[in-house]
Amino acid sequence: MSGSPPKPWERSGGEGTSGPAPFKPPSGGSTSDVVEASGTAKPGENVTAAERNVSANNVNSTVSRPMPQRPWQQTGYGNTYGGYGGSNMYSSYGGLGNTYGSGGLYGNSMYSSYGGGYGGGMYGGGMYGGGMYGGMGGYGGYGMGGMGGMGGMGMGPYGNQDPNSMGPPASPPGFWVSFLRVMHGVVNFFGRISFLVEQNTQASYFFMTAMLQLFDRSGMLYGELARFVLRLLGVKRKPKKGSLQGPEAPSFKEPSQQFMEAPSKAGNNWDNVWGN
Amino acid sequence: MPAFKAPAPGFAVRFSPFHENRLLAAASQHFGLVGNGHLIVLDLAAAGPGPGAAPVPVFSFPTSDALFDCVWSESHESLCAAASGDGSVRLFDAALPPAQNPVRLLREHAREVHGLDWNPVRRDAFVSASWDDTLKLWSPDRPASVRTFRGHEYCVYAAAWSARHPDVFASASGDRTARVWDVRDPAPTLILPAHDHEVLSLDWDKYDPSILATASVDKSIRVWDVRAPRAPVAQLAGHGYAVKRVRFSPHRQGMLMSCSYDMTVCMWDYRAEDALLARYNHHTEFVAGIDMSVLVDGLLASTGWDEMVYIWPFGTDPRAM
Repeated sequence: MSGSPPKPWERSGGEGTSGPAPFKPPSGGSTSDVVEASGTAKPGENVTAAERNVSANNVNSTVSRPMPQRPWQQTGYGNTYGGYGGSNMYSSYGGLGNTYGSGGLYGNSMYSSYGGGYGGGMYGGGMYGGGMYGGMGGYGGYGMGGMGGMGGMGMGPYGNQDPNSMGPPASPPGFWVSFLRVMHGVVNFFGRISFLVEQNTQASYFFMTAMLQLFDRSGMLYGELARFVLRLLGVKRKPKKGSLQGPEAPSFKEPSQQFMEAPSKAGNNWDNVWGN
Repeated sequence: MPAFKAPAPGFAVRFSPFHENRLLAAASQHFGLVGNGHLIVLDLAAAGPGPGAAPVPVFSFPTSDALFDCVWSESHESLCAAASGDGSVRLFDAALPPAQNPVRLLREHAREVHGLDWNPVRRDAFVSASWDDTLKLWSPDRPASVRTFRGHEYCVYAAAWSARHPDVFASASGDRTARVWDVRDPAPTLILPAHDHEVLSLDWDKYDPSILATASVDKSIRVWDVRAPRAPVAQLAGHGYAVKRVRFSPHRQGMLMSCSYDMTVCMWDYRAEDALLARYNHHTEFVAGIDMSVLVDGLLASTGWDEMVYIWPFGTDPRAM
């Protein structure tokens, strides 16, 4: 079967690295044939389904499509486009890629006048054919039922037609959509607030950190100044025991040994400094 | 290769199996609850190599309901399918103008369709996973489903075809199981009680036909050998919230990509001691869709609820591109 280019894993060996899989060997033929040959296709079930799809293609006026599951489905335009206008084009859908290109305008069907939903209003009765979308935003008000037979350019008697809107039709605002829109705004708002809060927290955090660092450094500055003053006064600090540094340590040891003897009675050389 | 701003929160991305520069993306307004969906085909080549250039949407189609997943056809280069929140599966031909799309509307599922996968071996069929607890097998040349797979007791979130066996696929469900199905068998071949919470996604190892990875709400990814389903081969922990999707690399054996509600995308090698290869936190919202290119080794894509689609090569920063 023609199809996509070979997959990278198909170029490697047929079996996996850890031996064969425990499945039955593959059958030949197309997938649908394989399923039907196995007897699991349940044709009875599929006939009804097929009829449903075909009828969905043939619908041109009033509703005969399956009932929707959720009320907000009706807010869009798509599931009301009442099938593709060219009636049975797709029932003779043969090989892929040769038939379905033949002019599938789903235009000449009106929006199939769905009159249920909220307050008997009618959503988006307009035409989507040829890119027209008569924005019939009849929300809950008009209660006009049978738009079914209205052909033409989406000229509903009510509503603001916009013949230039070739783009995607705007969905009429259902309750849920507008509610969600409001929620979106609320979430956005709190998102911004929390962003500001976070920024401020960070700023104050940085500020505090800077202050603490400043205090820390000023302590060092104090120590450095003290050392300088002491040196001016001619006092030498006792190096800590065992803090021999590098190769010059032994030469350094000699005077420090001398030095250690004098204040050792006082126990602490700093006491000695301020004592006399 | 830069980022693209989608019109709505992104839900799925897929690289084309035919063109290395084509990317399919599904997006839905209002986080998929209500509102419209968008199916977008991006052309990455038009973006050019320079920074700041964005991929160009060559096809964009708004749908009436949210889109949760999308997949390219493996048999026809411009055909793609989208899973819709109204229970329908829509086939689109990106080469046709929007007025002729969708080329097919398959309306059989009773509730939201959440996952799609196209058979990569025989290339003539795809499955859809739906919240009505069933999976359906479709062939693009038929107006109705070929078969329905029943058995799951809760929403089915994802389905994945075996990369090597044309008749086998697996499904991930909210009933905490993953099931392996053979299209010729009436019942599942294997019921794998994979996690203690809902299983959201799964994928087959492309190089080892017995290896399956499942991703769950319990924040973990587990790798299973279907021949020994009692215990997982590996458990990958590292995500902070539920893992939304998992996918095996088409090029490197053992390599996985996952995305999560902790807003990160992770790369793993389940056979390595230190399984987490990379963690990307370029998204500012939940990451909902990921894919790895079949045609370009190491090219990754992701999309999320921050409405961004990122495309980047493995090993680089998505935002730097």
